[in-house]
Amino acid sequence: MAIHEKSLIDVDRLLTHDNLVIDGVDVSGHWNTMITPRTLTDYDDSFEAKIQKIAGAENVHRCWQCGSCTNSCTMYAQNVNFNPRYWIYATRLGLKEEIIKDKDIIWQCVSCNKCTNICPKDVKPEGVMKALSHWLEEEGHTEETHSTTFDYEFWDQIAKRGRIEDSAVLKNFFAKTGQALAQDWLVEMVKRMMKHLPMTHLIHSALHAVFPPKTKSWGKTGDVLKAYVKEQKEAAHG
Amino acid sequence: MSKDTVLIVGGGPAGLSAAAGVAAAGKKAVLVEKEDRLGGAPILSGYAKLVPSGEWAKDAIGRMVDGVESSSNVTVHKSNKVTKLDGDAGNFTATLSNGETVNAGSVVLATGFTHFDSINKPEWGFGTFPDVITTTQLEQMVGSGKIACPSDGRVPERVAILLCVGSRDRQIGREWCSKVCCTVSANLAMEVREMSPETQVFIYYMDIRTFGLYEDKYYWKSQEEFKVKYVKARIAEVTAASDGRLLVKGEDTLVKRPIVIPFDMVVHAVGMDPNEDNPEISNTFGVGLEKHGYIERAEHYTNTAGTTRKGVYSCGSAYGPESIDDSISQGSAAALRVLADMAG
Ligand SMILES: Cc1cc2nc3c(=O)[nH]c(=O)nc-3n(C[C@H](O)[C@H](O)[C@H](O)COP(=O)(O)OP(=O)(O)OC[C@H]3O[C@@H](n4cnc5c(N)ncnc54)[C@H](O)[C@@H]3O)c2cc1C
Ligand code: SF4
Ligand code: SF4
Ligand code: SF4
Repeated sequence: MAIHEKSLIDVDRLLTHDNLVIDGVDVSGHWNTMITPRTLTDYDDSFEAKIQKIAGAENVHRCWQCGSCTNSCTMYAQNVNFNPRYWIYATRLGLKEEIIKDKDIIWQCVSCNKCTNICPKDVKPEGVMKALSHWLEEEGHTEETHSTTFDYEFWDQIAKRGRIEDSAVLKNFFAKTGQALAQDWLVEMVKRMMKHLPMTHLIHSALHAVFPPKTKSWGKTGDVLKAYVKEQKEAAHG
Repeated sequence: MSKDTVLIVGGGPAGLSAAAGVAAAGKKAVLVEKEDRLGGAPILSGYAKLVPSGEWAKDAIGRMVDGVESSSNVTVHKSNKVTKLDGDAGNFTATLSNGETVNAGSVVLATGFTHFDSINKPEWGFGTFPDVITTTQLEQMVGSGKIACPSDGRVPERVAILLCVGSRDRQIGREWCSKVCCTVSANLAMEVREMSPETQVFIYYMDIRTFGLYEDKYYWKSQEEFKVKYVKARIAEVTAASDGRLLVKGEDTLVKRPIVIPFDMVVHAVGMDPNEDNPEISNTFGVGLEKHGYIERAEHYTNTAGTTRKGVYSCGSAYGPESIDDSISQGSAAALRVLADMAG
């Protein structure tokens, strides 16, 4: 083992080529291990403003790094790598890579808002955690969550017809997230509806499922809404 | 009658306030100032808007100067020093460098401070790179109405202000906090952001000491309204990048990582050294200096504004780093002491 203190080095900074020959000398494996430097060489001056545009993170610039949020945090008690103070600092200076590195834990915030209640500068760290999770997802660093998939399905139907059809939302949501439509709870619910709902109501529902209803004179409203949402997204993500 | 005259040395905020106090009580003051202008550091170094009034130094301190210069009770000797002080409390005779003598019952030393000379911290690039300047130069730049890099006149994209330059540093024998530079830096940062919104300002700090009511008015406001960024790091070195920008190197203690960040302009928040004349002042006036080199304060509770010598008083930043407002109050306190001596 060429490098003995590996525990002191972030794994992602260790570079090793399995097969490497330099000037005829075989230096494969640990003989060629290099450590990339830890130096921060720039700030992204626009990052903070970008995050601040996402609802909840408006006050991130107020943070003075007292650590009260981290100290009070439910998740920090479980995992010392869950550190809202640190992510807020990284956001402020535009140390994007530091945020991306922790993409698999930031979303674990349980929204208990202990941090929000204790923060002396009214930063609302919980909102920042939500905004960062949102940004990570939007930028494709984390997979689309089920709740986002659900939102999109819901919103798609609104844009098309001005209203939703429950059965279609559920059907499409389960299909998109690879889940079986015949969920136990759903089967049970349908059975009970058949038993207890008046016949006219059932016919109505069945008709809607086949011919989804549309809001009267919806016309181009959906297109206008879509264009607006697109514009807002572009403005937020630059 | 010499007993009814006070000799005041130094025409900065403290000395001007002492002179105004004595004159207002109808007594005579003789003010000796070594420079050719009154006003002290705010005027001599061309400060811009003052903390905390927000008034331009030339207006605020200018008013004090006008008041003293137009008073028939104050005689002003500019471009002069005291070379000799004979006699005792109640009956001093001072000799000025122009040869004149002044008889006075008591003396007030309002001789102030000297700006730290950044040349003594060569690793931070002052004197080597034209775009490394001090807070006094930034004050003058704000006063001139344009924020620009001295090297080529371009508007800086990023400015770094390094706190505690020449303060809190055992390496160079300066173990004090200069008290005003955190607040002054926050104030300057806001002025830069206001005049040049495209310029980002970063303040590198060890602690932020915007004491008392300056906390929200300067620290919070600069951060919350003017988006000034505070980075916890003591900078190790300022060097040049190949493209002519400056590289600020240090350790960001909150991310536990080394940083090498490009900047267009770097500003040293220079501290307040003891007046470089203090050894001479100590000899001439027979007063002691405290361990950092400022004038030694007498027991403060019952001998306010006193020094180690009876009949010789002091005030303001001659005693140690001090703000303008407090220097002015101390000038009034010294005036009260000398007026009481006259009455007694
Ligand atoms: C960059 C910078 C910005 C600042 N901005 C602010 C601000 O906005 N608000 C604030 O409250 N404070 C500010 N300060 C602090 C402020 O400069 C001092 O509080 C103030 O100048 C102290 O006044 P003083 O009269 O005690 O001393 P000084 O202003 O130093 O005046 C001393 C006077 O004595 C004269 N003198 C010295 N030695 C002799 C001698 N041997 N014989 C005769 N005359 C002599 C000097 O020439 C000078 O005129 C700032 C300081 C710095 C470095
Ligand atoms: S809301 Fe999230 S970040 Fe805040 S204390 Fe709870 S788990 Fe931690
Ligand atoms: S409690 Fe508030 S001010 Fe303190 S570190 Fe957390 S977000 Fe920042
Ligand atoms: S006032 Fe601030 S910048 Fe000045 S010496 Fe003290 S801590 Fe440092």
